[in-house]
Amino acid sequence: MTGSASQIPSFDTDEIASIAGMLAQAGLESFEISGPDGTRLFIKTSQPEPQSETRHTQPPLSKKTNAANTCRAVKTPYFGVLTFTHPLRDTPFAPVGSHVKADDVVALLTLETLQIPVVASVDGEVIEITAQEGELTGFGTEIMKMRPTSAA
Amino acid sequence: MTDNRRFNRVLIANRGEIALRIQRACRQLGLETVAVYSDADRESRHVQEADIALCIGPAAASRSYLDQDGLLLATRATGATAIHPGYGFLSENADFADAVEEAGLTFIGPTGTSIRMMGDKITAKRTMLAAGVPCVPGSDGPLPESPDEILALAEKVGFPVIVKASGGGGGRGMRVVHRAEDLIEAVGLTSREAQQAFGNPTLYLEKFMQKPRHIEIQVLCDTHGTALWLGARDCSLQRRHQKVLEEAPPPGIDPAVIAEIGERCAEACRHIGYRGAGTFEFLYEDGVFAFIEMNTRVQVEHPVTEQITDVDIVAEQLRIAQGDRLTIRQEDIVFRGHAIECRLNAEDGLTFLPSPGTVTRWDLPGGPGIRVDSHVVSGYTIPPYYDSLIGKIIGYGATREEAIARLQVALAEMKVEGISTNIDLHQDLLANPTVRKGSMDIHFLEKWLEERAAP
Repeated sequence: MTGSASQIPSFDTDEIASIAGMLAQAGLESFEISGPDGTRLFIKTSQPEPQSETRHTQPPLSKKTNAANTCRAVKTPYFGVLTFTHPLRDTPFAPVGSHVKADDVVALLTLETLQIPVVASVDGEVIEITAQEGELTGFGTEIMKMRPTSAA
Repeated sequence: MTDNRRFNRVLIANRGEIALRIQRACRQLGLETVAVYSDADRESRHVQEADIALCIGPAAASRSYLDQDGLLLATRATGATAIHPGYGFLSENADFADAVEEAGLTFIGPTGTSIRMMGDKITAKRTMLAAGVPCVPGSDGPLPESPDEILALAEKVGFPVIVKASGGGGGRGMRVVHRAEDLIEAVGLTSREAQQAFGNPTLYLEKFMQKPRHIEIQVLCDTHGTALWLGARDCSLQRRHQKVLEEAPPPGIDPAVIAEIGERCAEACRHIGYRGAGTFEFLYEDGVFAFIEMNTRVQVEHPVTEQITDVDIVAEQLRIAQGDRLTIRQEDIVFRGHAIECRLNAEDGLTFLPSPGTVTRWDLPGGPGIRVDSHVVSGYTIPPYYDSLIGKIIGYGATREEAIARLQVALAEMKVEGISTNIDLHQDLLANPTVRKGSMDIHFLEKWLEERAAP
């Protein structure tokens, strides 16, 4: 980044990890800052419970599949190297079958020291991953399909 | 073979026909290309054909083609080490040129210092006067504070005068004053407008030339002290300061006169250490050349010069940026024949309103002496977000008459459906007796359009 670093919040992964640590200590679930050009840094602290919850709610949802034929695409808000798993974690943000809420981080775009979160636009279930992990991915690329909860 | 080159992969920070033109030149020189594009240009031809294509933002140019940080990130992310800015967008942004070089990348164009110098019209004019390039008589610097002094200056230059913003250009931030009693009010108004539009209220004043032609000199300079001039172009056919049809060489001007002014331009380039391609724009009236501004980039109308000199200007830009010496010498440059370029716009033929949409038919002309530079293909949708230029048809012939005749055949062959274009306007212009005679002034087209529209 040269010059106007003010345009995009610039943090390295260590800084993000330490912010996330402070958030968890303070009992906060998420942290978000926005730049003037619309880019955002969104950090969500570790929440192990929803993961198991999503597993439980899976059977009823498969029943709803026919009713919910409207899929929502999750698209990238910028470009960068796509990862579905936080570099400091083992489990993906939102694997197929998981349930996410609107604005939950489902992937990251990495550019040098920048990490740009890709967030879900609606509450719903992840039904398909449509982009390649580790690939340089352009703006507006569909990376996953979701079935919105409201459409069920 | 590629080891000692400064760059092997070029990021093209532009769109449309010029992006394709740059891509062709890169390919010809064995360079890989990166097409960065906005969401609105996904189906563009150069994007489809690039070695690497990356969508960097939405249609809004401020978040794609003008996003300096995004372009630098995209350059590094794709492994490109040079950026070609094309024309428009960031091509004459000195801060961007500096940022590219500070990032250790190659900017395919002049230094930020040169761009900055020519971007400020007063500095540019002073530099040219010092280098012996003739300028329009005028204040030769910022206007004085006192109204009496401004008035005295205008009287010395002679009315009518034109008051211009130092930060302006391309027809913006200027006002013509015919009478002494209107001068001070006009100065106040223009200064306030300049402050608003360019953030710089500084004005200067020049004699207003009544019926000038727009004549420009193409230059090419390497980083080893060689500066060449590649002849002149006549771009007098303009509407609202936008060029419509350009030709080379300018009809009716003695080649010896052009050679003299061309050599002064090349000398000015040596003087300021200019690098790459550039254009000196002049007004020409009664045998007198008067410098107005320098464009520090490749221009839309560069093909007419390429046709008559057989020099590939974009390829030379790339070679110069590699640090190569120009292999052509001034005495090797021979002007052969005549070339005319018609700019094709997606616009209504009468109202000139933009006509974006899907091109359902796109039959191109051909034959000897016909060159088409366009990114459009059948089925392509012209987005509404950018300028309306969809391509250029260039006609070349041994004589001006032959170039016109070939263009007339080409324009008749060209079939475009789904959108409106200005092809008919070009046909009318090429059939016009004044245009056929040559030597039109810069007001000709607007007057002609006015008369045509009158009942």
